[in-house]
Amino acid sequence: MKSRNLALLLVLVMVLGAATVGCGQGAEQGATDDGITEIVIAQGIDVRSWDIHDHNNTATEALHVNVFDYLVWRNQDLEIQPALATSWEQVDETTWRFELREGVKWHDGEPFTAEDVKWTLERIANPETGAELREHGQYKQIQEVRIVDDHTVEIITFAPEPVLLNRLCRLGSSMLPKHYLEEVGWEGFEAHPIGTGPFKFVEWIKDDRVVLEAYDDYWRGRPEIDRLVFRAIPEDATRVAELLTGGVDIAVNVPPQEWPNVESNSDTVLKRANSQRVMLLVDRLNPEYKTSDPNVRAAIDYAIDKQALVDTIMGGAGTPTRTRVTPGNFGANPDLYNTYLYDPDKAVELLAASGYGPDNPCQITMHSPAGRYPMDKEVAQAIAAMLESVGFDVNLQIVEFGQLSNIRNAQEHQELYLIGFANSLWDAHLALNSLRQAIDGEKQHHYFINEEFEQLTAEAAVEMDRERRAEMYHRAQEIIADNHGPHIYLYQLKNSYGINKQVNFEPRADEMLWMWPVTVNEGS
Amino acid sequence: MKRYIARRLLQIIPVIIGVSIIVFVLLRLTGDPVILMLPEDATPQEIESLTTALGLDKPLHVQYWVFFKNALKGDFGRSFRFKAPALQIVLERMPHTLQLAGAAMLVALVIAIPLGIISAVKQNSAIDLTASTVSVLGRAMPNFWLGLMLIIVFAVVLRWLPVSGKGTLSHLILPAATLGTGMAATITRLIRSSMLEVIRQDFITTARSKGLSESVVIYKHALRNALIPVVTIVGIQTATLMGGAVVTEQVFAWGGIGQLAVLALNMRDMALVQAIVMVMALIIIFANLFVDIVYCIIDPRISFE
Repeated sequence: MKSRNLALLLVLVMVLGAATVGCGQGAEQGATDDGITEIVIAQGIDVRSWDIHDHNNTATEALHVNVFDYLVWRNQDLEIQPALATSWEQVDETTWRFELREGVKWHDGEPFTAEDVKWTLERIANPETGAELREHGQYKQIQEVRIVDDHTVEIITFAPEPVLLNRLCRLGSSMLPKHYLEEVGWEGFEAHPIGTGPFKFVEWIKDDRVVLEAYDDYWRGRPEIDRLVFRAIPEDATRVAELLTGGVDIAVNVPPQEWPNVESNSDTVLKRANSQRVMLLVDRLNPEYKTSDPNVRAAIDYAIDKQALVDTIMGGAGTPTRTRVTPGNFGANPDLYNTYLYDPDKAVELLAASGYGPDNPCQITMHSPAGRYPMDKEVAQAIAAMLESVGFDVNLQIVEFGQLSNIRNAQEHQELYLIGFANSLWDAHLALNSLRQAIDGEKQHHYFINEEFEQLTAEAAVEMDRERRAEMYHRAQEIIADNHGPHIYLYQLKNSYGINKQVNFEPRADEMLWMWPVTVNEGS
Repeated sequence: MKRYIARRLLQIIPVIIGVSIIVFVLLRLTGDPVILMLPEDATPQEIESLTTALGLDKPLHVQYWVFFKNALKGDFGRSFRFKAPALQIVLERMPHTLQLAGAAMLVALVIAIPLGIISAVKQNSAIDLTASTVSVLGRAMPNFWLGLMLIIVFAVVLRWLPVSGKGTLSHLILPAATLGTGMAATITRLIRSSMLEVIRQDFITTARSKGLSESVVIYKHALRNALIPVVTIVGIQTATLMGGAVVTEQVFAWGGIGQLAVLALNMRDMALVQAIVMVMALIIIFANLFVDIVYCIIDPRISFE
């Protein structure tokens, strides 16, 4: 009898014990009553790591920009401005000299000097220290960083690098504290990172939130916001619910089905910004695929009504484009942006010219990811329908993105697949380089052989004259657009942000959540 | 009893090895983590060099052997995404899932025990039929949908509770209710049948004929015996809880190993998925073992042989 009661009690205690584990841990929400201005931002994922050279994740970078500074930095209009570097000049073809800002201090009070620049850039550029880090490919062009004095450095590249400045204001180029990292190592840094940015690290509760507080001695001036909290809320509906109840002040990536909720709520507003991501179709040029026929490719391009895709499926959150190099990116061809080809009759004619018609439909296979990009599979289904209406017979395969990645890597994709590419370099070089026949001596598999394109991209890669370089890239983009392959560009995505009306935040096209200039209305 | 426990503990070894092989093979057959780590337009050369650097180009059995050797030392590999030991990442988040699971089980029992008793005592009455209907509804409702509905009603409209996250007791209520409801339904039905069976037994008739009041008969004699199978249920349902936690944690941004599992799977973070599955398997195995032992203690009719 007694032991039975005891045993039942034991089970109850086990359950209760499990239920109360971890009670009392965790941060409180909203400490705005004691006069502190706190802003809470909700993203879909948690920060990945504090190693700026090894995360390759936009959402992580969007948070990092508040803790770390760069040598140069893009303003709201995306123009490159001085930041930790006050001026720069090109000494010769492969040498750039940078004057560094004086009086900048790390969060622990130590001064920022040329030593930090050398340490940071050489870590990622040098194969010995950087080969296994994700960003190495974007910085291996740097041969050496020479210290001239405490506030002057020279960056020497292996070959002329027209995009060096772009590299120095993107993911992977923020400045790291040499003295601190040598003292605590990467483990210590991951537990408590420091930078020169406007906000200092306070705590990181994994898969929950990152808490930052204002840095009083920030060189641009102390930010108005006292406390910054970044929360990770993967579920769209939950993230928006937090915004609507005031649990968070900014919600990133609001999906179309939630727009009415955000817009109709009296406390919140929906703001949109262009993103760097362009949705496109990759069409195979290998001889054994139907898309090796230029008529078929052109027919595909003419059959798809890109504006309709944007208006009906994307709810207007997009801009049709015939190039991946969109405005803001160096070398953008304005004639190919905010325009599209659509002529279904012409598509039928083109197919007929290659012997396809109602009795002989052009059979193609198209792959699409599901849930990787906004409305991706819906767009794929619409495209398949549009293609079928002009005489294609489309075998649509909707797969999970990991699967699609495997298929692509194994070169097993068919005539078409839908995907979205971004551009972290803000330069046509990144967009067009992968379409060359060989990269670093390694032959590519896309079968795109165009002498003019090869010549243009090869020359532009080392052309230091900006105007000449831009012209070359304009022409290169025309070639791709007129060839309707290896890419058929569809539309540029717009990101939607849900913002509390009391917070004066304007989203940026580079998706960075730069909170230094953000102010909050009085009495909120 | 000691022999029994020792034997059960030894049985864990082949089970864990089996689980590890299945997870290992399935993961590698379904996806390549390297492609998911690099940007979409990475070149095949970049992919290849990272694959080699991470040792993923070796044959499957070689990779498994490396994994096995390290696992024996407690090293489950490094997570690609977090760049930290996989086991450490899982153990950091495990308390959160245990808390949620425990709270959900509590919610389930608090609902199910009274409901189950009343359904049995007042069998085929209106209450019994209502309880049965509610049970079916509870089983049929997907966690995901229930979670979002609870958020809308109690957090967005009524503003009684926070939407998501963790920290205080009020943060625990909605996720625990979401995860516990489905289980409450199952347990209600089980208690009901268990009670019905017990009530029909001779010793209950004896108790009644001794003149004991009905409440004493039900609560002191019948219930205690009816609860014995519930102990087993708690063990069996641990597996269901772990699975349900994945969805619930995702909806409520709960930050336990369920949410971690979704993330790790999407990224094909091999070491992390393996560590998660192994830890979950061990939790389920030990919960069942514990429950079996308790069951033997409390029911003298069962021996350890």
